[in-house]
Amino acid sequence: MLDNGMKLLMVPRKGSPNVNAGWVAKVGSVNERPGITGISHLFEHMMFKGTQVIGTKNIEEDLKVMVELDRVKAEMRKEEQDLARRLREGEIADVKDPKVRTPRHQQLIAEFDRLTKREKELVVKEELDRIYTAAGVTGTNAGTSEDWTIYFSNVPANKLELWYWMESDRLLHPVFREFYSERDVVHEERRRSIDSTPTGRYMEQFEAMFWKSSPYHWPVVGWPSDLEAITREDATSYFGVNYAPNNLVACLVGDFEPARAIELAKQYFGRLPRGPYDPEPVRTVESPQLAEQRMTAYAETNPQAIIRYHTVADGHKDEYALDVLANLMNDRTGRLYKSLVIEQQVANMASAAHVNRKYEGFFEFRGIAKPGKTPEQVEQAIYKELEKVQKEPPSEHELQKVKNQVTASNFRRLQSDHFLMFQLLMAEADRGWRTLNTDPARTQAVTAADVQRVAKQYFEPSNRNVLLFYTKRGEPGKRGAEARSSEGAGQ
Amino acid sequence: MRRTLSILALAAIGCTWAGEIPKHPRDLKYPPLNFTPPHAADYRHKLASGATAYLVEDHELPLVHLSVLVRTGEYLDPSGKKGLAQLTGSQIRSGGTESKKPAEFDEDAAFLAAQISSGAGPLEGQASLDCLSKDIDAGLAMFVDMLHHPGFAEDRLQLARNQALQGMERRNDNTAAIELREFERLLRGDRFFSTIPSTKASVEAITRQDMLDFHAKYYYPGNFVLAVSGDFQTQDMLGKLDKALAGWTNRAGAVPRPPKPDFAPSGGVYIVDKKVNQGRVRMGHLGVMYTNPDHTAITVMNGILGGSGFTSRIMSRVRSDEGLAYQAGSIFQHGYYYDGQFAVVFQSKSASVAQAVAIVREEIDRMRTKPVTPEELEIEKGAVVESFPRRFATASLRAAQFAADDYNGVPADYWDKYRERVQALKVADVQRVAAKYLQPDKLIVLVVGDADAIERGNPDRPQYKLGPATRIPLPDPLTMVYPK
Repeated sequence: MLDNGMKLLMVPRKGSPNVNAGWVAKVGSVNERPGITGISHLFEHMMFKGTQVIGTKNIEEDLKVMVELDRVKAEMRKEEQDLARRLREGEIADVKDPKVRTPRHQQLIAEFDRLTKREKELVVKEELDRIYTAAGVTGTNAGTSEDWTIYFSNVPANKLELWYWMESDRLLHPVFREFYSERDVVHEERRRSIDSTPTGRYMEQFEAMFWKSSPYHWPVVGWPSDLEAITREDATSYFGVNYAPNNLVACLVGDFEPARAIELAKQYFGRLPRGPYDPEPVRTVESPQLAEQRMTAYAETNPQAIIRYHTVADGHKDEYALDVLANLMNDRTGRLYKSLVIEQQVANMASAAHVNRKYEGFFEFRGIAKPGKTPEQVEQAIYKELEKVQKEPPSEHELQKVKNQVTASNFRRLQSDHFLMFQLLMAEADRGWRTLNTDPARTQAVTAADVQRVAKQYFEPSNRNVLLFYTKRGEPGKRGAEARSSEGAGQ
Repeated sequence: MRRTLSILALAAIGCTWAGEIPKHPRDLKYPPLNFTPPHAADYRHKLASGATAYLVEDHELPLVHLSVLVRTGEYLDPSGKKGLAQLTGSQIRSGGTESKKPAEFDEDAAFLAAQISSGAGPLEGQASLDCLSKDIDAGLAMFVDMLHHPGFAEDRLQLARNQALQGMERRNDNTAAIELREFERLLRGDRFFSTIPSTKASVEAITRQDMLDFHAKYYYPGNFVLAVSGDFQTQDMLGKLDKALAGWTNRAGAVPRPPKPDFAPSGGVYIVDKKVNQGRVRMGHLGVMYTNPDHTAITVMNGILGGSGFTSRIMSRVRSDEGLAYQAGSIFQHGYYYDGQFAVVFQSKSASVAQAVAIVREEIDRMRTKPVTPEELEIEKGAVVESFPRRFATASLRAAQFAADDYNGVPADYWDKYRERVQALKVADVQRVAAKYLQPDKLIVLVVGDADAIERGNPDRPQYKLGPATRIPLPDPLTMVYPK
């Protein structure tokens, strides 16, 4: 632990001459609020845009252009707000239509484009990545989830100091350049991962239906209207609190000398000033669900049922029994496959998962209907399997099988340096790295009676959320497809 | 805005505390990194059964991983039975064994917490076992029983057929899948094994006997390359493998190698109409063979063009400059049996597809006609050379690399001087291979997306047009017959 509150985890491991190095900012979309949804993820992109030293030909000029850009953008926002009002009042149909803009707005856009062009001239393209790439650092990237943001690289063992230099520099002197053009990239990312996939938008709606008050309600990538509106000022204040060293943990796994790694951490990360205060945990708790919620969607996908129940947050005493329950259901020898796929032949695929996030959790079943069967039949068959566990605890043999698998997977997950680093950082964003060592024993302690108890406790119909997918009817001119898909959906 | 400045000011003060930190990372000094690539020959063993095995010990964790490459693949599917290799590969795992019903086999494997798999791809079959080292005897016995005496139970075959048919129904839903399928057709023609699709009829024609025959024909030790890594003693493991594979007769004669396509692709713009708000684009042409002496230079050239992520020109222009895509890059494959493919791949909203295509064309031309900068070349060489040890980072990576090289006929000393070959490349070499192997006149530009919106383009940028495009209709997903 450094004086400024930043923590360093180390797992020295000889083998190949490189180090998997990363750090976590203990912040994700759960820490956002309406108006800035998606900022954690947008921010992850901004952290690759350089610093006062990296990524610019002339920092003074660069900062001046940025001030100008923000000024013009603020003026544009007034125009955009007026367009939004006119849209609300039904005066216009599309705020993006150039024809609805005022001459003043057009002028501002031209000014903004001119400044953006000027900004681009000052940028040294992707310099962070170039420096890393040339040094043989690979896999430099980052990921944002609901609960964390993790930055990572694979560094040649002799160049660990470069990683310290680059990472501390971007935490110390970040410059959020190309702030407005980067969101276009994020929009493309959203189109790619959500909009243009067969079920992406429906799953987003299902998530939003499932979480009522919890901030898990919005997608990590954010609502499109917020993405448009986030300002550099929002980003700066977000950075000041969430990327302060007292909210960060770094981790090294691989071939390095711990004493030297600590020395470098003090020298480089030690220069980060502690944040004004420790970020506050999320206040808003998911309100209990009172009645079942259902959604029916027609999409270009197989007819299927997705059933979800609210459960417990990560680390809750019941988490382990619920995990075991999911394992009992899963895989080739799991109850769902044996019953729904092999015996009843109602589904071609069926699975269960218990997902624990930092503040809330859920248990989810999925089943794809066999052609000729309906999603409702899959749904009912899943309920029958649940009832069996509610009525009768699993056998000792079945329980032992699951525990054997958990033991083996506890070894398997230590194999990859990269994966180990990732797990340590994720655990740090939640209940701390030690849970990697203490959780397996809690799973081994689960009894058959525990499994039966949680199966009774968490799976009330009123706590249920159901999404049924039917295959969307074929587009005009594809009669063949239509006939088959309606048969598949059993309509 | 004021807040930005105040944070930057604070940061500037912070900087003065640390005197010894260089102002720029280029001033950092590094100790040398000593690394000698391991030699495959040191790990290679010929087993009594005729199989080749690479054994790499690693005692850190109590696990053993064994994988087998089988000389077979979809290229050996008989006519009218497309899907046989794949089904046989997966049913070896799913269909039980001669002495154990599928459910019993699955249950035993699960109780042992052993991960056992089998499958077949276009150019090879694979199977693997991963278990705790204390369980290796039981795990190996089950694994070899499965590979040697698969049961191919009828009910599991029927289930697999159902799943395959259900998967086929969805063939025209996912734009990424359509893109891969149609590009391969444009590149290899319709009569090559990689483009002849499985159909409802071909999958329904496959019988249990077909799978038994296919298995008998290709699954025997002389046709295997093994990669074994983890917690064992080499001599001890060799004994176990010999014992496990004993009594398995090899077949005479060699399995034929994959054919070469007999097709000359024609360049042009092609579009598949699919109502989504983002177009997927793949533009490229044939690549080269691995035996081409220029393939290392081509790899470095492609790295500068589009193969090295954010550092590459295409990513830099399409994503960073213009914000037209989230992901943009290129591959230039060298095939082991026939020419690989060169392809630039990106996804962009409908209105900007034409502009992004134009940018990529410009970048391909620039690569051909103007030398790369010495800095670009140094970055790319550094990327390849400095990250080289990672290829051999773990015991399982090492064993897998040796086995794959053996399977593909890569000489055992290939990696010894690999870094030197890359270091020796000059700017002129890069330009020479760019001019020779990037062929704009042969570019196939395939777009999958909202055809009307893509052809309309961006009204604010009327200079960018996709140009005349051939429309490719979607086939019936079960017969794969394309409407005229």
